[in-house]
Amino acid sequence: MKKALVLLLLLSLCVYQFIRYDTNEQNPYLITDYSRLHPVKVERVVKGKEEEQLVELLKEAESKNLSISIAGQRHSQGGHTYYKDGIVVDMTSYNQILSFDPEAKLIQIQAGGTWEDIQNRINPYGLAVKTMQSQNIFTVGGSISINAHGRDIRHGSMIQSVESFRILMADGQIKQVSRTENADLFPLVLGGYGLFGIILDVTLSLTEDQVYRTQIDEMTAENYSSYFLNNVKSNPDVHMHIARISVAPENFLIDMYAINYQNDPSFSLEQHNKLRTRESGVLSSKLLFHMNRAYGWGKNLFWSLQSTHFSKQNDTIITRNNVMRSESQFMDYRQAGRNDLLQEYFVPIQEFAPFIQSFRKVLLEEELNLLNISVRYVNEDQEAVLSYAQDEMFALVCLFNVSLSSEDQIATQRSIQRVLDEVIKHKGTYYLPYVAYPSLEQFRTVYPRHQEFFKKKDEYDPQHRFMNYFYEQYKGEE
Amino acid sequence: MNLKWLVRSQSMVTLAGGMIYPYYLLFLKNLGNSYSAYGLAFAIFIISSAAFSQWLAPRLDRLGIQIMLISSLGMMASMLAFPWISSYMWVLLIQIVMGSCNAMQRMSERLLLADHTEQGIRGPAIGNYHFWTSVAAGFAVLLGGYLIDWLTINVLFYTSALLYGVSAVVIWRARK
Repeated sequence: MKKALVLLLLLSLCVYQFIRYDTNEQNPYLITDYSRLHPVKVERVVKGKEEEQLVELLKEAESKNLSISIAGQRHSQGGHTYYKDGIVVDMTSYNQILSFDPEAKLIQIQAGGTWEDIQNRINPYGLAVKTMQSQNIFTVGGSISINAHGRDIRHGSMIQSVESFRILMADGQIKQVSRTENADLFPLVLGGYGLFGIILDVTLSLTEDQVYRTQIDEMTAENYSSYFLNNVKSNPDVHMHIARISVAPENFLIDMYAINYQNDPSFSLEQHNKLRTRESGVLSSKLLFHMNRAYGWGKNLFWSLQSTHFSKQNDTIITRNNVMRSESQFMDYRQAGRNDLLQEYFVPIQEFAPFIQSFRKVLLEEELNLLNISVRYVNEDQEAVLSYAQDEMFALVCLFNVSLSSEDQIATQRSIQRVLDEVIKHKGTYYLPYVAYPSLEQFRTVYPRHQEFFKKKDEYDPQHRFMNYFYEQYKGEE
Repeated sequence: MNLKWLVRSQSMVTLAGGMIYPYYLLFLKNLGNSYSAYGLAFAIFIISSAAFSQWLAPRLDRLGIQIMLISSLGMMASMLAFPWISSYMWVLLIQIVMGSCNAMQRMSERLLLADHTEQGIRGPAIGNYHFWTSVAAGFAVLLGGYLIDWLTINVLFYTSALLYGVSAVVIWRARK
């Protein structure tokens, strides 16, 4: 009897598990990206290995009339890396460093190589990446295709650090692209979301690794712009910066703190430049982040502990390379039917406080579970055709916990579009690597060169060999 | 003869083992970066288990229960060490330790099962033993998945270490 009961319990657990996970987003035979939205069947996933193999693959796709999508770490969230019934080229195995010249501060790496690969190679030479995301897990090809940005405030956008790259085009040609050679392609491919071809390798310019001393300040959202202009931007020793706004009900979108990384040459680089490879405190942060997701009091607790934790980090000595390998494991989240998704808004510096007020109003009316907002600075950079940094701006990276069900997705989309109306009113833009909640009209307002972008796409790839959901969602009818 | 302690301690062992095995294999796969490196790690485990069994064999009858105890303690130590590993060489070393523990556990388990049962009426006792250890493994695998999803893979290793520790205590107490 006891045994039968135990077996029944075990069996019930399995049935419960099966029902709970019997969703498309958990189906291992379908392909999706970090968002787990829009899972579809693809023809196959091919690991990129050799240049010749990629050329052959393109020929095969042409003869069978299949589309090709290009994937790196698949952290984009809007279906940029796959397309129904097409071939997905997984570039993560195409990851060799082809050349490195410490004197000239140049590195050439295959597109599937990650920032970590670069850091591991260049750190002993006292060199560092100029601009990249806060985490180092992403591929270089993926990062330049979304024209990423990060904590650096002195080196401009990521694409400014790109010297040149080679790309396999839809017609089978491999083109060397730089600001002087095939220059037309340069601002299209960088921030081009994989629609113009397979980036094979990239030559990046590097900068010196440095020792920074951290400085933590607290302020309100209202004062943040003047704080940034007077204390951060005007101080040439501050090279990197990140801030956070509270999403805790107690001080919702009011309290902020900022971390500045200030160059301190009194410390020797050699004594501090061991690369960090282990994340610390993952368990406690992860548990707290679960609370932050689930409860209002959890958000209050998370914010207060986070602020205390960071205030204790004042005067920490850290190298540039170590700042650029920030922790991320504690945010891992694999709950079936729900996910943490990003949306990112850019607002001009002077518009920050008024935008936050409008943002707060919308968020209090809408049922959005906002988990975190980090703020970074981006220099004006309109080189890319689809450029988000149309002014000197603050980037607000907003993490929402959302239900993945179709009905809830419609509601989320409506709420996000309301937020975006406010962004647009405040002369802001939004970032394209995330779920395409914004309307086509909002996209076209924010990205005035959209027509040119898609026209060039048709010119360079008339058969639409390179396809993804970004194209499908934003191309629209003329 | 009373087999309860053996069923208890070994259900604990399969709970601890069942919890980590499928995930630890994935963990190894990621670390090795190729199926060949993974194959090698696993082969080392098996070779170590086979080789060690020959050293154990003459001592097994005399030291059965002690060997079982050392196996649990060895596995506990391995589980505590796993989250701290950062090189493939260390993985191989731990595979050797785990292989030896595997030999100790499986050989002593069979010995003690035989010692504590009588020829002709072994069936029900072995069936009982098999049932509880298998069921424990079933729960363990499900629990392991939850633990990694909600916490971290390191927590899984530490929980497993704790269970091996408890099994060692149960064996220790039955030793007298």
